[in-house]
Amino acid sequence: MRAFLITLIFLQWGAFLFSETELSPTEIESGAVRIMQLRREGPSRIRYPDALPSLLDLMNERSNANFDPDPLFIDSLTDERLFENPILYINCDELPVFDFSLEENEALRRYMNLGGFVYLDAGIKASFLGTDLGHSYAAWEERTEVREWFTQIFPDKTFTPLPRNHEIFRTFYKGLPDNEYLKLEEEQKRLPDTVLTFVEQEKWPQATYSLVGIKVKDRLTCVASPICAMGWGRDEFGAWIPPISFRIRESAENFDETLQVASFTGQTYEVTREDGLKDEIYLIPGQRPMWVKEPTGRWRIFKYYSGEEISNYAHSFYARLGMNVFLYALLN
Amino acid sequence: MKKFTFSIFFLLSLLAMISKGQDGNASVPLEDFNASSLDPEGIPPTPPQRSTIEATLDKTSRMLKSSQLDERIGAAKLLGKYPRYESSLLLISGLDDSSALVRRAALVSLVEHFNNGSPVYEKPLVEKIFSKIGDSDVEIRREASALIPRLAPGLMRSGMEKVQLNGRTVFRSLPGRLRSDLQLLVEEGFLDRDSIVRQNLLKYHFSLRIQIKPQTFCRLLEDEDNAVVLVALDQARIYARQPGVYERMNALTQHKDSGVRSKLAKTALDMGRAFPDYRKILRLLTKDKEDVIATVAAVDLARLGERVSPVMVDRIIDYLVGARGLYGKAETLFFSLSALGADSARVYEALIDHVSATIRAKAWEKHILVSEGWSNSDLWMPSLDDRDLQVRKSALSVLRGRVDEIEVSSLVALIQNPNAEVRVFAAELLLIAEEDVVQDSFFDLLIDPDSLVRSTTLRALANRRSEGWVHLHARSLRDDDYGIQRAAMDGLLSDRKEGVPALLSFVRSHPTKPISSLARKELERMGMKP
Repeated sequence: MRAFLITLIFLQWGAFLFSETELSPTEIESGAVRIMQLRREGPSRIRYPDALPSLLDLMNERSNANFDPDPLFIDSLTDERLFENPILYINCDELPVFDFSLEENEALRRYMNLGGFVYLDAGIKASFLGTDLGHSYAAWEERTEVREWFTQIFPDKTFTPLPRNHEIFRTFYKGLPDNEYLKLEEEQKRLPDTVLTFVEQEKWPQATYSLVGIKVKDRLTCVASPICAMGWGRDEFGAWIPPISFRIRESAENFDETLQVASFTGQTYEVTREDGLKDEIYLIPGQRPMWVKEPTGRWRIFKYYSGEEISNYAHSFYARLGMNVFLYALLN
Repeated sequence: MKKFTFSIFFLLSLLAMISKGQDGNASVPLEDFNASSLDPEGIPPTPPQRSTIEATLDKTSRMLKSSQLDERIGAAKLLGKYPRYESSLLLISGLDDSSALVRRAALVSLVEHFNNGSPVYEKPLVEKIFSKIGDSDVEIRREASALIPRLAPGLMRSGMEKVQLNGRTVFRSLPGRLRSDLQLLVEEGFLDRDSIVRQNLLKYHFSLRIQIKPQTFCRLLEDEDNAVVLVALDQARIYARQPGVYERMNALTQHKDSGVRSKLAKTALDMGRAFPDYRKILRLLTKDKEDVIATVAAVDLARLGERVSPVMVDRIIDYLVGARGLYGKAETLFFSLSALGADSARVYEALIDHVSATIRAKAWEKHILVSEGWSNSDLWMPSLDDRDLQVRKSALSVLRGRVDEIEVSSLVALIQNPNAEVRVFAAELLLIAEEDVVQDSFFDLLIDPDSLVRSTTLRALANRRSEGWVHLHARSLRDDDYGIQRAAMDGLLSDRKEGVPALLSFVRSHPTKPISSLARKELERMGMKP
């Protein structure tokens, strides 16, 4: 049913027109949707160059969608091609500064008002991650730069967290990847026991994640997420790249007493949770977070797990989530 | 009451400060601390004081020996946060715990130490960690085998031994070699029940200076898990001459997974350079049912010097025309096409109408270069009419500096092109056009809405010394656009005989114009007195 729906939408998309521009004959003929990616010219670091093309390829492979696997790179939001394509992808970690001209902001406002969809990957980022861009952390609010930028575009709108039951989490894939999807034997372990429990119950329950969004004319037009692109890349033989490890919260006997007095010489940072309360993260700058004091008074330690199975699982999750977001963008 | 509690608090603080402290932290033994006792009525609760690292380690070392399982697990987890030698030693002792949960926690914490810059190098300690590849718990075997690259420097350390030979004391070196019992564990690990363990050991065995037995390697090439087969193919070159390896790889040409067959093509190309027998595998793969594998194999054979049949070239074209974009296997294949020599031209030409802009862009570049098409404007003109900027830019990048003649009809078409970068190129072509063509065309370029087109035209006219150019440039100094003024000034400065006097005259008569100050400096540098 979903496949049929998506086919239908793509057929309709052949005639999709923004009010001000027309698609060229070749574009209509090919019927392929081209995703735009904003990438500023200059010294910015390109993060995960294989990511978006791999995901587009995967969407073509796994669904009836027809995406052009070459993203269209634009370096300014005033590029006239913005209005020829319905989805704009921005990896916020690739932007050296969030420096947008008035014209660019006006163009983006018009784009979103006319039906365009903006996906801000790494639009959520906990402050303690600093310049180490390799981490993702599921905070439940957009990063400060994104908030300030969108205040200029839609002064009367704010990002709000998407509820766990939002349609975006089940547009195409529903639930976490199982053994069959991961091409594992039925009895084989997907993940270490403690990791699996945390992932299923807290990290990504029902394959949801911390997303915040903005609605324009009652339509979800912009979504921000912690960095997901790190989970999309595949090499030419289909293997996932690069390796990903997990950060898991673990508890143990007496941790509530032990961790609040255990030796610690670093700093603490507050991070917003899904319920709006704050986690207090303990870390030594330059190192991975050590432990967390949760608003309930519970203390838990962060442990890091890496390995082939963990990386494969994480990639599968991020790729499925990425597909859900892009297909949602087209279907709505 | 308040005074009393403050006194207690003060005394406690003082005691803490007197005891051995580090980094200003008081040393309060963890087990002695009770936060609730310091919560006097009416005073906001004071956060409990943190312990020193020594006290923390002391407490956790006792917890690690506790009879309570949860305590031992908690201690093993906490020790991971203190990457230092003492805590590594404690964690290594935890690797022998009777509970798999404690062993897991200890190993995960040791990995944390390695990641946080506190590796273990002492050979006996590293050997202890490494021995966990034979643990009964699969998660521990996975963690330990994944850690091999970090353990190898310690494991493979060479040493020195003192022996008595014929009554003399002799020192002799001991080569870095894996202990024989650990070697046995590795050999068993190659055929571990868990595929991740098999993969890890296969991937890293070379750093352990272990050679896999041919029959074991052949079994790995036939592994039920494709990921293991892919890793085995990565290592196949080392075992190319071992009995049975060629036959197993030959059998992989019929493997059901296309990723494995694709990897096989890549491996066979690498091996085919040194071991000609393996080229037969590539020849077999040219008959693969999947276009991409067959065509990659054919191009690989071309890279090894073999001719590709016209039928196969057609198959390459079919595959690339059907590809959605220049990504993954299509990208690999596209950039290998040069191995086809003259036959590649046919492929590039077939791709210039591809739906993917990236493929069109690259195809145009290659098509113009391979066919030396810059001398034939009929060939390249369609590339500049492409809807995509990426394609036009790619074509222009190979045309600039190569086009040496242009017909009037082509130049007119370029001037009328709706895209500014193409009209800029038209202006550049004025440099090589016949004079009568220039005279017919330049005016349209000079009134172009894009200032870069206009300034490029001015620069071309100055370079050619076209009739009336000095007058034109002198007038352009009064243009509103600074880019145009600058182009006009540069042009006039390049000609001492006519251009410089015209510029001098302008500067003297328009001293306040924006360009005049720069022009004055340039003229002074040339020895003039404006």
